[in-house]
Amino acid sequence: MDNLPSPVDYAIPFFVLTIIAEMIWAKRNAPEKYEPRDTMMSLFFGFGSTLAGVLFGGAAFAIAMQAYDFRLTTVPWAWWAWIACFLLDDLAYYVFHRSAHRVRWFWASHVNHHSSQHYNLSTALRQTWTGFFAISFIFRLPLAFIGFHPAMILFCGGLNLIYQYWIHTEAIGRMPRWFEAVMNTPSHHRVHHATNPRYLDRNYAGVLIIWDKMFGTFEAEKDSDPVRYGIVKQLGSFNLLWGIFHEWIGIFRDVWTAPWRHKLGYIWRAPGWSHDGSRDSSDSIRARWLESGGT
Amino acid sequence: MSTVLAVKIFLSLLATLFIAYLPRWMELGGDVRIRDEAHARALASEAVTGFQASEVIIDRAGIGALLKDKDGRQLLVRRHGAQFVGRLLTSSSNSRLDQNFLTIGTGEKSFGKVTLNLGDKAQHWASGLRHLQHG
Repeated sequence: MDNLPSPVDYAIPFFVLTIIAEMIWAKRNAPEKYEPRDTMMSLFFGFGSTLAGVLFGGAAFAIAMQAYDFRLTTVPWAWWAWIACFLLDDLAYYVFHRSAHRVRWFWASHVNHHSSQHYNLSTALRQTWTGFFAISFIFRLPLAFIGFHPAMILFCGGLNLIYQYWIHTEAIGRMPRWFEAVMNTPSHHRVHHATNPRYLDRNYAGVLIIWDKMFGTFEAEKDSDPVRYGIVKQLGSFNLLWGIFHEWIGIFRDVWTAPWRHKLGYIWRAPGWSHDGSRDSSDSIRARWLESGGT
Repeated sequence: MSTVLAVKIFLSLLATLFIAYLPRWMELGGDVRIRDEAHARALASEAVTGFQASEVIIDRAGIGALLKDKDGRQLLVRRHGAQFVGRLLTSSSNSRLDQNFLTIGTGEKSFGKVTLNLGDKAQHWASGLRHLQHG
């Protein structure tokens, strides 16, 4: 049982066909929703991420197996264990994702996924190359410590990733009300990719939006405040390598030049934090927006 | 590396190249331009939350704009693919005037430079930028 296939491999034909379908939709309705260089960049982010997975995935799995050796109990390969694993993995994803937006070290890797000013299915494939370096895998280790087999965790993580693919689109408006209440949807996730002050650092969910509602980070999409996509300081470049490494380079520069007592702050504090308060973070942007009336 | 893995990577690369080519073949993207001052102001406010321009100049072709607020901050907005991006100009920015054409660099190598046709207002804005550079 511990030699499971990767569900993502089987989803690739679905990814290809749906991206083509969305491009046809864009051609008929809104050609500006796709930009050739932006799409190229997103796809090579995805391809590079796959290679990074090949290179470092084995090491991450080995570390999870080490954690599994110290497990509290042994969760069996039962049907209920799959459901429990999927739900806990989704919660772990929420914690990871929130950290990835609130701690610059994790953001340096995750920013790759947000650096497009477009929001389409190719954006979903815009994945990081540096996740292993950022030790993002630690967020799933608690499941192995509990006693879920790493192969089960990996499989559930793959399903989670596949679910998140289809919500990266503007071609779908709103899903039925009951679905919007429980599940992460294109509408909820558009909010997550927004740079509008109202929407900054909201909707971290992977599959279930209930985590955001439970932990106070949910924001509904408002038709009166159309979403603008990307990051607070847009890249302004289609250079792939700059896109991948720009935040890591920023951290290095800041740590190098900052006074000694502030160096660590540039690693573990929120993106945009600076010791002299000269930069914008999502908190300062939101505060300024609220001061000006918040409309 | 196993043969299966090598085939998977090769097919992924093929799929990547195929899909990456499609938007160009389908002529997606469009030709976006700054329509008017209101559009430029909106773009500036999106680039820097709360930036309220008191003075605006738009490139003749609408590919970029320069804006100034009441605090003297100057912001460059330029086209980026089918979107726009903006940067506050600082002392590390640089500019070069050639008749009606003002070439502006933000000091960020990755952001590049942009040349705006500002007509007979180019001189006025160039002087403002020089003031910025020399404090």
